[in-house]
Amino acid sequence: MAAAASASDMFDAIVMAEERFHGEGYQEGYAEGSHVGVIEGSRYGALHGAKIGSEIGYYLGFALTWQRLLHRSAEEKPSKKKIKALESLIGMIQKYPFEDPIYDKLHEDLEKIRGKFKQVCSLLNIQSDFRINPERSALTF
Amino acid sequence: MKDSLSLLARIPAHPDSRCWFLAWDPSGTLLASCGGDRSVRIWGKEGDSWVCKSVLGEGHQRTIRKVAWSPCGSYLASASFDATTCIWKKSQDEFECVTTLEGHENEVKSVSWAPSGSLLATGSRDKSVWVWEVDEEDEYECVSVLNAHTQDVKHVVWHPNQELLASASYDDTVKLYREEEDDWVCCATLEGHESTVWSLAFDQSGERLASCSDDKTVRIWHQYKPGNEQGVVCSGADPSWKCICTLSGFHTRTIYDVAWCRLTGALATACGDDAIRIFEEEPLSNPQQPTFALTAHMPRAHSQDVNCVAWNPKELGLLASCSDDGEMAFWKYQRPEVC
Repeated sequence: MAAAASASDMFDAIVMAEERFHGEGYQEGYAEGSHVGVIEGSRYGALHGAKIGSEIGYYLGFALTWQRLLHRSAEEKPSKKKIKALESLIGMIQKYPFEDPIYDKLHEDLEKIRGKFKQVCSLLNIQSDFRINPERSALTF
Repeated sequence: MKDSLSLLARIPAHPDSRCWFLAWDPSGTLLASCGGDRSVRIWGKEGDSWVCKSVLGEGHQRTIRKVAWSPCGSYLASASFDATTCIWKKSQDEFECVTTLEGHENEVKSVSWAPSGSLLATGSRDKSVWVWEVDEEDEYECVSVLNAHTQDVKHVVWHPNQELLASASYDDTVKLYREEEDDWVCCATLEGHESTVWSLAFDQSGERLASCSDDKTVRIWHQYKPGNEQGVVCSGADPSWKCICTLSGFHTRTIYDVAWCRLTGALATACGDDAIRIFEEEPLSNPQQPTFALTAHMPRAHSQDVNCVAWNPKELGLLASCSDDGEMAFWKYQRPEVC
């Protein structure tokens, strides 16, 4: 009996080898893939975050500068609409949750900021030289 | 059924080019057409025939996709693929371009005037909808840039008596906007179409909105105010819009335009299968779940895609249509007796 059992184990080991190695290989590969994926994702995230950060930073610098210029300008009374739109843009940027990348309205709010920026440019009658990359889809994944 | 729609006249409005869109002035005496030849033409009736009264040719560098009259009838707005919108002022029979609105990144696809005449909306391939405010000196200022759509905006239209704006898009949705604290916000998204939504039309009351699509259907949406009897849930103070009827199985290709007659309630469609169809609500149908009957079908109304249908605002049953073949046609619609 014992001989028969060990013989069957032996055959088992041979017959099942492929499956076993497949399983082990999967585990190892999975671990390695996760590790590489995390690095790649983190690199991509940093890059994407930096892009958004520089875009919004540009808007903020632009808005603050124009706010100063309008306040100091020789214009008798700078249009209330311009000032209001600038204040609104600055407010939106200050409220933007830079520290929370999983905030569910991150892209929605970014689109609103972009819209406000365009409105400000239109009101000031200037063409911004800031160009968001052509395929500026919020979801480049 | 075929006799319910009869041809009155056919005119090569924009020869050797496409005729994109038509707009009746509020008095119903003038019709503006626009096309791929970069011109707007103004048509008026003299005796029994329609004649071209003016050609507005200098304003745009590229195709003019849509035109819209101001509610007072003194201004005409034209939206062009050259990324601009021109405002034309009418004095006697002359039109003069008084302003060019710039700001969109690329093709402007649609323009519409609010019922008050003090607001104008434009929609573009750049996915945005812009709202402009007009002051007494014909100065236009942008009051909002709305980035709610994820794809091209195909059409914008205002509610007939409220400051509520609707837009249709290549992202298969319809969005509604209203003013909130000095800015405009998207207050509703109407989902249901399975492909591009090409055009929109409010009915006379503004309680219903018809949308037409590349999915070959027309959908009728009904507005439910908070606390409505039917128990349709609303979020906050915003009304809810619910699809109460889908017209499917009638059209064999993309439906490019829908027009709701303010006088009779008849609904006309312009289709890529070259046909014009007219629907009417069945008299005894439940207003909450209405059924519409096809009351006229004109196959080969044009030799190519029909791009636009427009009901005359004053003359009962007078319908104008235009097509990729560069022609426009005038039709007389008579409701069939048994319907």
